[in-house]
Amino acid sequence: MKSIGEIWHLLRKDFLLEFRTGYAISGIFLYLFGTVYIVSRAFQQIKPESWNALFWIIILFASVNAVTKSFVQESNKRQLYFYSIANPIAILLSKIIYNILLLLALSFLTWGTLSFMTIDPILKPDVFSLTLLLGSVGFSINFTFISAIAVKANNNSTLMSILSFPLVIPVLLLLVKLTANSIGLIEQDITNDILLLLGIDLLLLAMTLVLYPFLWRD
Amino acid sequence: MVKHWWKALGVVLVIYTLTVGMLVPLKPGITAVSPSSVRTGEQITIQVAGYNSNFKKAQDSIRAWLKLDNERAIAAQNISVKDDQSLSLTFNIPEYLPVDQRVQDMTLVMDNDADGASLLPSAVFVTQDSIDPEMGQQVWKNADISNLNDKKGITFPFRNILGETIRNTYFHVSLWLAMVSIFIISFINSIKYLRNPLPLYDYKAKAYTRSGLLLGVLGLVTGAIWAKNTWGQYWSWDVKQNMTAISLLIYMAYFILRSSLTDSEQKARIAAVYNIFAFVALIPLIYVIPRLTDSLHPGAGGNITFGSQDLDNTMRMVFYPAIIGWFLISVWISKLQYRMDIIHARIWNLDDED
Repeated sequence: MKSIGEIWHLLRKDFLLEFRTGYAISGIFLYLFGTVYIVSRAFQQIKPESWNALFWIIILFASVNAVTKSFVQESNKRQLYFYSIANPIAILLSKIIYNILLLLALSFLTWGTLSFMTIDPILKPDVFSLTLLLGSVGFSINFTFISAIAVKANNNSTLMSILSFPLVIPVLLLLVKLTANSIGLIEQDITNDILLLLGIDLLLLAMTLVLYPFLWRD
Repeated sequence: MVKHWWKALGVVLVIYTLTVGMLVPLKPGITAVSPSSVRTGEQITIQVAGYNSNFKKAQDSIRAWLKLDNERAIAAQNISVKDDQSLSLTFNIPEYLPVDQRVQDMTLVMDNDADGASLLPSAVFVTQDSIDPEMGQQVWKNADISNLNDKKGITFPFRNILGETIRNTYFHVSLWLAMVSIFIISFINSIKYLRNPLPLYDYKAKAYTRSGLLLGVLGLVTGAIWAKNTWGQYWSWDVKQNMTAISLLIYMAYFILRSSLTDSEQKARIAAVYNIFAFVALIPLIYVIPRLTDSLHPGAGGNITFGSQDLDNTMRMVFYPAIIGWFLISVWISKLQYRMDIIHARIWNLDDED
């Protein structure tokens, strides 16, 4: 129960910081609008297949940028202070939850703006919303953990993409498939894919929880 | 010397794989027939191209059939041998076939006492002008396929499309299995390091990852060569090929991560964490995702794996030793590498004490 309280306070701290500075979120949203604008001007006529690919490329790069900031924005001394007052697992979980919410907002905003500027090919909004939710969870766990690794090294933004892109590909492929289904490009039973995606998310979460205690200490 | 027996065994097994795997001939087979489509009521002469066959030598004992199904076949009327690799067969195709399909494929079965029996599935397609299974039953002159000869001597099976490339089983498949075992050893050493941070476990994990990566690259290259010969292209963006390339990227990233950290204790710890995370993320990549999507590769998208029906006992005699051979050689390479690291560390420590 103590750690749930800790997670709550840490989450509150992250949101407060974000509301007061507005630095990370505004940067990411500006990046998002810029990309969507370029994409919609470059593709005069956009097909649902390309919409699917573009959507996930935009989300992938936006989320890497968004999540990398979560560990980098705190200096080593402040991190040391947090570790001395809270459980490291609580810190990690608060970061993951914060990033899930951030990526979820990011995904729905991308959906909205990309549909507004180009087309909205989604035929099954319920399936697509579930896809976005599972995708945000998977991306968030993966990127948060990798950014915790990358922050230990010096050239961390390059390292971040080198380490995380190969690892996120299984999740990404399933997301693209589920999106293709909600666009109506492929018609087949998706229960297995959803369960598999959920399984990968849980596996990644379990691995992060087991491994993080070895990672944070320095 | 007694404790080094496994190194000798590894070398012997790899040499055995290279010699036996490359030198044992393929079983004689049929590569092509022409023409491959005929009509009912014709007398046709089919040119047959054999592979590794001895038609000239076994001229008098050659028999041939066109097989409709497991019970029905027609025998060749006349057989004339041109040379060891080609001959022509004459068949009388009846007016009606005992089936209700317009086009029926038939399997060519050949037998002689030098080559044993060989067959080509769907060798000839027979087009019926009018369909009447009843009439077909009446005019059918059945010939029993019996007393087939066995090929004497050790051979590997002949499969259409695969041909000589069937030998790649001892390289591509066994290198891949050896790679998975080596990565498992590396994974175990990373876990050991996190439980008990001795530098030795880190050296081991690093060395095994490096040899695993080497095996992975070799497996990918042999796979691409095999794909060129069977699928037509070195790289056809098949899901299995992509996943393999990605998994190798993950392990290359391991070394980039190592080189970007300077403190050796921190390097060992973070590399171990990443290795465990990468190994776990690798399992869905290699074993789960390819099975869910369509793939050209055996063992994916509903295809059965190669081993279940095509690996016969002669191939097993090379295949299993090949896995053990590649595995032992890689363990030896890794051992040399981590012993180098131990010596390196000791020399540096001596320098520090001066």
